[in-house]
Amino acid sequence: MAIDPKFIRNFSIIAHIDHGKSTLADQLLLQSGAISQREFREQLLDDMDLERERGITIKARAVAINYLLDGQTYELNLIDTPGHVDFHYEVSRSLAACEGAILLVDSTQGVQAQTVANAYAAIGADLTIVPALNKIDMQASRPEEVKDEIEQTLGLDRHEVLAVSGKTGQGVPELFKAIIDRIPAPAGKVDAPLRALIFDSKFDDYQGVVVYCRVVDGTLRTGQKIRLMAGDTEHEVTGLGRFRPHAVACDELSVGQVGYVIANIKLLSEVRIGDTITTAIRPATDALPGYQEPRQVVYCGLFPATHNQFDDLRTALQKLSLNDASFTFEPETSDALGFGFRCGFLGMLHMEIVQQRLERESNLALVQTAPNVTYEILTRQGEVLHVSNPTRIPEPGDIEEFREPIAKVQFIIPADAIGQLMQLCTDRRGIYLKTEYITPTRVILAYELPLAEMIYDLYDKLKSTTRGYGTMDYDLIGYRAADLVRLDVLVAGDKVDALSVVVHRDQAYRRGLRLVKKLKAEIDKHQFEIAIQAAIGSKIVARETISAMRKNVTAKCYGGDITRKRKLLEKQKEGKKRMKQVGNVEISQDAFLSVLDSSEE
Amino acid sequence: MKGTEQIPERYHSSRGKIQAGQVVSSGTSGSHTPRAAYIHVPFCAHKCGYCDFASLAGSDHLADRYLVALEREMAMRLSEPRPVDTIFIGGGTPTRLDASQLARLLSAVAHWFPLDAGGEWTVEANPGTLDESKVEVLHRGGVNRVSLGAQSFHRPSLKVLERNHDPEDVPKAVDWVRSAFDRWSLDLIFGVPGSTLEHWSNDLEQALALGPDHLSCYGLTFEKGTLLWKQQADGAVHAIDEDVEYAQFAYALDRLASAGLRQYEISNHARPGQECRHNLVYWSNAPYFGVGLGAARFVDRVRAINTRDLMAYLKRVEAGDDPTGPSEQLETDEFARETLMLMLRRTQLGVNRQEFQERTGVSLESVAGESLGRHIQRGNLEDDGQKVWLTRQGIFVADMVLADML
Ligand SMILES: Nc1nc2c(ncn2[C@@H]2O[C@H](COP(=O)(O)OP(=O)(O)OP(=O)(O)O)[C@@H](O)[C@H]2O)c(=O)[nH]1
Ligand code: SF4
Ligand SMILES: [Mg+2]
Repeated sequence: MAIDPKFIRNFSIIAHIDHGKSTLADQLLLQSGAISQREFREQLLDDMDLERERGITIKARAVAINYLLDGQTYELNLIDTPGHVDFHYEVSRSLAACEGAILLVDSTQGVQAQTVANAYAAIGADLTIVPALNKIDMQASRPEEVKDEIEQTLGLDRHEVLAVSGKTGQGVPELFKAIIDRIPAPAGKVDAPLRALIFDSKFDDYQGVVVYCRVVDGTLRTGQKIRLMAGDTEHEVTGLGRFRPHAVACDELSVGQVGYVIANIKLLSEVRIGDTITTAIRPATDALPGYQEPRQVVYCGLFPATHNQFDDLRTALQKLSLNDASFTFEPETSDALGFGFRCGFLGMLHMEIVQQRLERESNLALVQTAPNVTYEILTRQGEVLHVSNPTRIPEPGDIEEFREPIAKVQFIIPADAIGQLMQLCTDRRGIYLKTEYITPTRVILAYELPLAEMIYDLYDKLKSTTRGYGTMDYDLIGYRAADLVRLDVLVAGDKVDALSVVVHRDQAYRRGLRLVKKLKAEIDKHQFEIAIQAAIGSKIVARETISAMRKNVTAKCYGGDITRKRKLLEKQKEGKKRMKQVGNVEISQDAFLSVLDSSEE
Repeated sequence: MKGTEQIPERYHSSRGKIQAGQVVSSGTSGSHTPRAAYIHVPFCAHKCGYCDFASLAGSDHLADRYLVALEREMAMRLSEPRPVDTIFIGGGTPTRLDASQLARLLSAVAHWFPLDAGGEWTVEANPGTLDESKVEVLHRGGVNRVSLGAQSFHRPSLKVLERNHDPEDVPKAVDWVRSAFDRWSLDLIFGVPGSTLEHWSNDLEQALALGPDHLSCYGLTFEKGTLLWKQQADGAVHAIDEDVEYAQFAYALDRLASAGLRQYEISNHARPGQECRHNLVYWSNAPYFGVGLGAARFVDRVRAINTRDLMAYLKRVEAGDDPTGPSEQLETDEFARETLMLMLRRTQLGVNRQEFQERTGVSLESVAGESLGRHIQRGNLEDDGQKVWLTRQGIFVADMVLADML
């Protein structure tokens, strides 16, 4: 018995990181009766280990709840989204499954960079925005000022801004009412051929692929033969259900409803996020618009720490990619590291999380090379190459023009930090665009910056120059020529391909010096002297030497020392497992990572 | 252990008299019963800066109580006297006990660990705690070997080490020891902060001038929890340059060899036949008894260490409780790895394949695998088909070689 779509509301909760989306979701579950006080725990929807450890949302989560208003039961499908800039893709996918969005603004922090970015994403997707101040229970809350900011930056009417506390539940009934009153009901056609948007999926060892979808037109039923339109494969629906918040099976999903589908799909490659599900018998003619492919901005090589785990790594990547469609991977071979993959990510945090998930969920030890961006190269032959692996950069003599990606960056910062931040951007080859005052004390500063100058650590620098009050967001705007070079590292005369980096020529000497110094500190002494050199083409720009190990022997080993000595040696042995052999030299994972750490600059 | 018949004759000689010119692997007598005993005496005149042994200064008033506890522990653990081939009383400073306490200790030890004919009984002593009457007590009590902690003849080094004897105390102590014992040894420490190759060679000359048949030369180790460790962490003391330490070690090997004292273990040198048989038990991973504060024992493949807390030790033994602290039953592979680690310390015996197999039940190749060939190729090990041993080059980087092999 299908619910009339006019009593359904679909919305996402969007905000800057930590503004309280998941906490508000808890309140919505609690006050709608979806969970009891007893089942309640903070940020209930953040159920991944990494999410709970880090206290942030990584994956968007959809939940169906019922809410009784004026004698009518409404079905609300809410999606809690992540706030971190790296997971913006999760937000835009969620938005495509909704008619509205709650835009939450921490009333102690005010409008921040991702508040603006996410609000514009929602506006761009034609969603109704319900703005709400959050954390109004806090002393430091400054509602009127923040309303000014919302009006100024987003052009929203201050009288439409609600005020809630996810913590105490204050204002939540009014929020429910606003959701129902303001957000339109789904507009799909009940009688039309089935069209359901796949907005997420995950792999389950027992059930195979579990697909998360939102029905746009028609009805999805168990036992139905469905077709995935892009892949053109057919499957039989063996299970349907919704999260409330725990999985609850049902017989059908009709217009506007959000839920999961199990259809005996074994092949990971058969499911594409953004694809449309239709029926095999009466297929829809046109697929739904789907999603723009996410754009990876940082790349690194991932290699198994122990060899012959290449296939395990491939399987792990395939499995994870089903749950996170936003990273890419393709096989790569390195002289130093053997067989692995070059992977693309949406940002540094994303890269870190994917690596951790691979290691944990598939029990792998990985070696990661320094992250880099994609470069565009015009060769002497007139070819244009896009290279996201420094080892593939042609020799200097073959390059006509070396281009790097440029980002337009928006900072929202306290006005008194302008000077420092401008200096920071100038040091990083930034081009000033404009300053805009939101209020007398808060400004938006816009710059064009080479992506490589901002992506790795600018966020940390921003946080430290603004004592935590600055935020940033960026868009890629294209490539621009720059005086770039590939800096190679030679260990004992052998080029370590995995350590090559692209740098601006002005920084090559300093970077090279720092690199060889770091490597010197990280590479253990061997029985022979090891030269570490940094070079541009055949020109050596920096050199350090690791002297030969002279003496490494335990002086005393009598009855009482034996166990301890053995354990010590076994520990050293364990450390060696993560070592990679380059020529005759063993290099640790830390050494590879030290190449990217610029903390001493 | 089975297959004793196949062990070459010389491995059975651990009970007999040692023949000159031959280092003998101890304890391969085929039985699980330990043939060696270690007894610990924790008292010291003063705590040296580098020391992480179970040793205490200012607790001499507990010595009598300790000796009673020690006897009680032996009675508890052994139930009947256990004949042994070697006894080692170490510390601490056993000779910190007064003459009558010392006599009492020796007679208790002689009762519980009757020494077989030709056996070796060593006591550690420190210059400054020794006098003629104590030497006499030791001699009469059955001791036949003394190991003297000289450490250095260089006053500033003794100071850095926070030893509380003077360089002149050493020859004095040696005179007394020499008058009563044929076998005695000196301990020296190199790599002392502030020392040079010259200081060290001078130390060696002064030691050699006293005519020892056995010398232990230890590279100074900064052990966690010691005063020296803290001084280094605070920047008050700096470890010497690795090259200097290397040169000191290398010099010792050459100089002592030319004086007829051959290196037979990484830190030990002796005239042929004068090796410390008790310590060779450890390095062959044979079983041994151990009693006293912080003492380790290895019986039935269980490695156990008594508590290092003196009051806890006394109270537990007095209450009839076992004073054992951490203990570990060794699995076959752990035991095999330990055996490799220990046997490789023997620079002359090395790891004899057959002995290794007899001791552990597994082959050397199955433990060390391909790393053997790698280190032979790199010149760290030598292999004559029967045994594998560290080359001179390998001795200096033995830990690295072992970390790779285990
Ligand atoms: N006092 C108070 N604290 C709140 C409120 N809402 C959230 N918090 C706290 O703010 C922090 C962040 O809350 P989350 O709900 O995890 O924020 P989020 O927006 O989901 O964060 P991301 O998913 O990582 O973007 C937590 O420590 C919450 O306890 C509120 O209304 N009042
Ligand atoms: S004499 Fe020996 S046991 Fe005593 S404190 Fe000094 S080093 Fe330690
Ligand atoms: Mg969250």
